[in-house]
Amino acid sequence: MTGHRVAVTGLGVVSPAGQDSRHFFGRLLEGESFVRLFTADEPPKPVTQPAIHCTAFNADAALGRTLASSTDRSVQMALASCFDAWKDAGFERSQRVGNPDYGVSWGSALGSTSTWERGYREMWQNGRDRLPPLSVVLGMSNAAASHISIQLGLGNASLTYVAACASAAAAIGEGYKRIRNGEAKLMVTGGSDVPLAYAVMKAWEALRVVALGDADSASAACRPFHPDRSGLVLGEGAATLILEEWEHAETRGATILAELVGYGTCSDHSHLVRPDRDGQVRAMRLALEDAGLTPDDVDYVNAHGTAIIEGDAIEIDSLRTLFGERASQLPVSATKSMHGHLMGAAGAIEALTTVLALHHDALPPTANLDTIDASCEGVRHIVGAPLRNTGARVALSNSFAFGGCNAVLAFRKAEAA
Amino acid sequence: MDILTVIRDFLHDRLEIDPATIQPETTLAELQIDSLMLVELIFECEDKFHVTFERDTPAPKNIGELVVIVEEFIAESKKTEQT
Repeated sequence: MTGHRVAVTGLGVVSPAGQDSRHFFGRLLEGESFVRLFTADEPPKPVTQPAIHCTAFNADAALGRTLASSTDRSVQMALASCFDAWKDAGFERSQRVGNPDYGVSWGSALGSTSTWERGYREMWQNGRDRLPPLSVVLGMSNAAASHISIQLGLGNASLTYVAACASAAAAIGEGYKRIRNGEAKLMVTGGSDVPLAYAVMKAWEALRVVALGDADSASAACRPFHPDRSGLVLGEGAATLILEEWEHAETRGATILAELVGYGTCSDHSHLVRPDRDGQVRAMRLALEDAGLTPDDVDYVNAHGTAIIEGDAIEIDSLRTLFGERASQLPVSATKSMHGHLMGAAGAIEALTTVLALHHDALPPTANLDTIDASCEGVRHIVGAPLRNTGARVALSNSFAFGGCNAVLAFRKAEAA
Repeated sequence: MDILTVIRDFLHDRLEIDPATIQPETTLAELQIDSLMLVELIFECEDKFHVTFERDTPAPKNIGELVVIVEEFIAESKKTEQT
């Protein structure tokens, strides 16, 4: 590891469990699924799927009416999670720092899809022949990053990363690199997505990889590593990590929750949707090399684990390959079983979960995993209760996206040098 | 609905501005209406009164000027309909 150390000093989340990241994490430890049956009741025919819907999210309350009325739902969630993380890091929202050393690095796979969908519907379904002027700035893919910079006064880079389900992991990793390389002192990083737009749900349905379930079974619909797994669960939400140069955080007396020590990204360069073991192993190795660590140092892996049949087996194969004989002792969980697949924000909500797992020395389980599929055996699956007081120091958060985009983050428990 | 009421309703809904504070002499700057919000406001007026602002219409400085512009376009539109 070279360059500046990078501390995580603030967390924020928008989830069905509300916006308190510690409360959210506590419910994950209990193995509680937030998945419910969701219907988008739109013409030509309603679409229903088990999904993560943040029913209680109130943009007006979180952002104020003025800001809420000029932003897409995904950007509203981005801002809400950023404001909470900003406060968690010890800043006031009203304190627009105007600092050229502070920036934002954001991830989203879908951007403001809901805004575009609404526009299409207005024109092609409702016969309107024009769209509101704000459509452009509501819909632009970098809207979240731009609003975050403006609201918090961040004068350093304002960048948006699109890498399907690895978008937020890439955004966090690239933000980390800016601090490590001395190009920034603080980066607001994370991701947001709202995949519950009608056409997005229909598109995923057509791909036949969405988990099946009805009103009674929806909460147990997402079953990573289970022989009966039937696919992923789309989820809306956002998560933010405030990354900060270590000495900068110490100087201002911030609470350091964990250290981001490594980031590895690479392409499978093989297939659009079939993950590749060699690419995944390479990404994890790159993250560990970046951190100056070896596979033996890793105490927990928050898996990509979407519950897609092929993907889960390939990821476990990758872990067995990288960790060798030790794999069977390595605690692994797929928290998507509870918070769903947040698409471009998945890497952020899982990074947040991984940080809190190290901070509280409590590793969350994979929910709904009463039987382990033979193709997914070979690691220490955390089932039922969380693993507490293991002394875990190092954890990986894996994001292996469609398109063969891999991004892995390596975190270490906060320790003085 | 009269023009001032449409403007007041819009600004109350979008910017939470107390309708009573929106008077003809109130400037757009006082209401913190920037160029983006002005085009949204114009769009709202166009929608409600079925008129189209010409691209070269000078930007109003206060609410009264905006009302006058909308009145002129409504009158223009009625004249066109009659001919």
